[in-house]
Amino acid sequence: MSVLPLDAADEVATEPVPPARRRRGLPGFLRRPGGVFGAAWLTFVIVASLTASLWRPFEPGQQDTANRLALPSAEHWLGTDPLGRDLLSRIFSAGSLPLLSSALMLVVAFGIGLPLALIAAERGRRVERVISRVTEVFLALPATILLLALIGVIGNRLYPVMAVLGVLISAAVYRVLLGVAQSVRQRLYVDAARVNGLGSLRVNLVHVLPSMATVVAVQAAQLFGIGLLIVAGLAFLGFGPGEPEPSWGFMIQDASGYIYTSPWLMVPTGLVLALTVVAANELADALAGKAAAARGTGRRRRPLRRAVAAAAVPAGAPADPAAVLEVRDLTVSVDDGPDLVTGVSFSLRKGEVLGLVGESGCGKTMTARSLMGLLPDGVSVTGGSIRWRGRELAGLSEAEIDRVRGREIAMISQEPMVALDPMFSIATQLVGPIRRFRGVGRSEAKRIAAELLRNVGIVDAQRVLKSYPHQLSGGMAQRVCIALALTGEPELLVADEPTTALDVTVQAEILSLLRALVRDTGLSVVIVSHDLGVVADICDSVAVMYAGEVVEAGTAAAVLDEPAHPYTMALLGANPHVPEGEPVPERLASIAGTVPPPGSWPTGCRFATRCRFVQEKCTVPFPVLPAHGEGSVLCTRVDELSREHAVWEPEHAGDEIASPLAPPAPVAGVSS
Amino acid sequence: MLAYVAKRLALAVGTVLSAVVIVFLLVHASDTTPGAVRAGAGATAEQVAAENEALGWNRPLWVQFTDYVGQLVQGDLGTSLVDGRDIAADMADRLPVTASIALFATLLSGLVGVFLGVTAAVRGGRLGRLITTGSGVALSLPAFWVGILFVYLLSLQLGWFPATGYTEFSSDPLGWATSIAIPVLTLAVGGAAIIARTAAAGMREALTQEHIRTLRAMGTPRWRIRYVHALRYASVPVVSTLGIQFIALFGGSVIIENLFALPGLGQASQVAASSSDFPALVGVVVVATVVVVVTNLLLDLVVAALDPKVRTP
Repeated sequence: MSVLPLDAADEVATEPVPPARRRRGLPGFLRRPGGVFGAAWLTFVIVASLTASLWRPFEPGQQDTANRLALPSAEHWLGTDPLGRDLLSRIFSAGSLPLLSSALMLVVAFGIGLPLALIAAERGRRVERVISRVTEVFLALPATILLLALIGVIGNRLYPVMAVLGVLISAAVYRVLLGVAQSVRQRLYVDAARVNGLGSLRVNLVHVLPSMATVVAVQAAQLFGIGLLIVAGLAFLGFGPGEPEPSWGFMIQDASGYIYTSPWLMVPTGLVLALTVVAANELADALAGKAAAARGTGRRRRPLRRAVAAAAVPAGAPADPAAVLEVRDLTVSVDDGPDLVTGVSFSLRKGEVLGLVGESGCGKTMTARSLMGLLPDGVSVTGGSIRWRGRELAGLSEAEIDRVRGREIAMISQEPMVALDPMFSIATQLVGPIRRFRGVGRSEAKRIAAELLRNVGIVDAQRVLKSYPHQLSGGMAQRVCIALALTGEPELLVADEPTTALDVTVQAEILSLLRALVRDTGLSVVIVSHDLGVVADICDSVAVMYAGEVVEAGTAAAVLDEPAHPYTMALLGANPHVPEGEPVPERLASIAGTVPPPGSWPTGCRFATRCRFVQEKCTVPFPVLPAHGEGSVLCTRVDELSREHAVWEPEHAGDEIASPLAPPAPVAGVSS
Repeated sequence: MLAYVAKRLALAVGTVLSAVVIVFLLVHASDTTPGAVRAGAGATAEQVAAENEALGWNRPLWVQFTDYVGQLVQGDLGTSLVDGRDIAADMADRLPVTASIALFATLLSGLVGVFLGVTAAVRGGRLGRLITTGSGVALSLPAFWVGILFVYLLSLQLGWFPATGYTEFSSDPLGWATSIAIPVLTLAVGGAAIIARTAAAGMREALTQEHIRTLRAMGTPRWRIRYVHALRYASVPVVSTLGIQFIALFGGSVIIENLFALPGLGQASQVAASSSDFPALVGVVVVATVVVVVTNLLLDLVVAALDPKVRTP
């Protein structure tokens, strides 16, 4: 077939792989069944074809007139053709021509496409434009018909024809490789190499080319298969080696004439050709690692282990009768993997704003998303309870929680620019939910949409309604997202880092909008943030999270003014925002190390490895202690620290350099 | 927008001109002269020379080229060296055959491929893997081999469709439909496989987008998320691939028309190539390039209509 599915190659991963990340030992593609099959069959066909003259049982032209059109037998393993010639011998005698000419096509295609891509990526915009325009023209030429025209002119010569096809295909190779080369060049290590004075050729050879190896291999495997199909197609049309020389395409053409009497004849040749092309494509897929991506998309949720039991048992702390949301001992885990969040408890009253604070990777987003059953695939709530106005949300089916989403609990997310559907206008995206939630007609829904937009501070509501998401600024998009969240008149809003992606001035506007909504509508809000400024600005209460658990909770004023947990102290010390009227500190505090990943949390205090006040007793488990009135703190030394008036001080100048050499100070024992 | 259209048009004209230049140079680089082809085998050197003189072959290359382009813009593609028929009229007869087969094959590929790809992406699991593997095999099968298989099954065994030959639509619409059924099915096997892969990849990507999570957070019904929002997102790559498929199937028609004895462009190019009928060769290349270029232009318009980012500032 002369189809050139080059663009199917675009969906294959074209991500460059940095050299450092490559694994040792068995190459990745040989760990997949498709890759093993592809590599094995291709090796077999290539070796068997190139050595055919050494082992074939018959000469390809040798006629066994007594055995014409024979089925497979002990003598002729794959049967014979209409002249009684042995099919096995003919198939593998015919193999080397398509294999070698496809290889020639590959060499030409990459010999032109690869250097062009490297040059275009290196020389910048103008050169890239010129080369790209020329290749676009090449891509738009009808390759098959041009090849036939070429044959009409130069005659039936396969190698030059395939070389010309290589030239035509180099345009497609260039296009794919250009993208890769450009993204590799943007990597920092390539810049670093250039700064270090490596010449252009060496940068390409040492850094860019190795990163492109996977993509080149994927492309080469795919194009090889296409080349085989084209050679066979040409031979099928009679533009191959003439009789009595065997060729795959002509053998299939020959078989088509005997399909009434001997349908078997088309099976062996067709199968060998098809298997070889399948093998090339399977190898390409395995190289691209796509087989893995295709797996595991089916949604499978582990049933809730402990939720129901936990909900039945009275929770440790007395439930707040005024709370609308009561989370108790919430555990979120990766299916068959580590826990991400453990034993998280908090409650929220109507009209109250709760902040979940902590560094990245501390489980605050997972906690927030579990409130709406929106955990990523492969992650689920495995224990504890989420009571929303007396109803248990943990363990609800998708259909059941769908009735809560939007109507009772709504969400706004971190990235307003991608949170709206890019394919639909704002009006469409608002009118749909309004009609669904409020049961109104289209024109009434439109009116409500405009009103909602005005309520979130959008003056030019009509224009915004007609816009598409990409036409909005970040702040405007977040306002639209808030309006969207309000379409179902929810009572709880879960806001996951609602201002992180926005400019500072816009951040303040969005926060004051949220504050106004809470004041005017009695909305309750759970706001996730790493920014203590946001928390101080808007929250009534706060839960500080570290490594999947709440380490300190209480009213925002109490926690921020008199932090009891060393982690909270450290966060406050590292906070660059200074309340008005206070002197700007000369240095900010820092917290050495990073949050330990799930699955490698220490027993006892999870902050112990980074805490300046760590002692022996911190490494054994200890209970949550009450603090800040109704709040809590998870630190076994909390009373001692409070007596000592411990403060998480900024490092003195020079400490960063001195500390690795200095012996550990008595209080800052564990710093590694 | 206007500048964009102008640029696309310039590129389109440039592409057609490049194709003309390439085949023109090819023909002139050939050992065979048109005079030899017209005079036929066994002609004397004088007869060949006289034919070449009559055809204007001995004039400077650029004169012949400007002459050809001048005729081309008037829709004149010259006459065949072999039987003297008018090439433009011949192409006009043949284009609908090839175009209709490629078009129906593209539509069928689109329907089947989108259905399979979306199923694979949405259902996942064993069915998804089966579709992924099956489409991987299907797109590797040689079309001429699949064609023979279909003839064996659908024509010889089941007797549903004729094995070869072409019936004019105007003379017998039903006969026309059955005469192109097997060619269309044959081309659609590989096409559907490629579309299925594109659609599956597009849907998988779409379903992981942030805006899909927003929709879920709004309690949007699952069918709506999948078949309105995610499918719309995946439609841009699918439609682009469909356009490329049409072009590829158009080229693939050479083999299919040979196999099923269909009087289309592919058959014309094969005949012209084997008989060195230069004007016919150039004609086929020009017509095929125009089809490709027009398809690409239409494709751009469709993508612009689908994707607001392209359509609006």
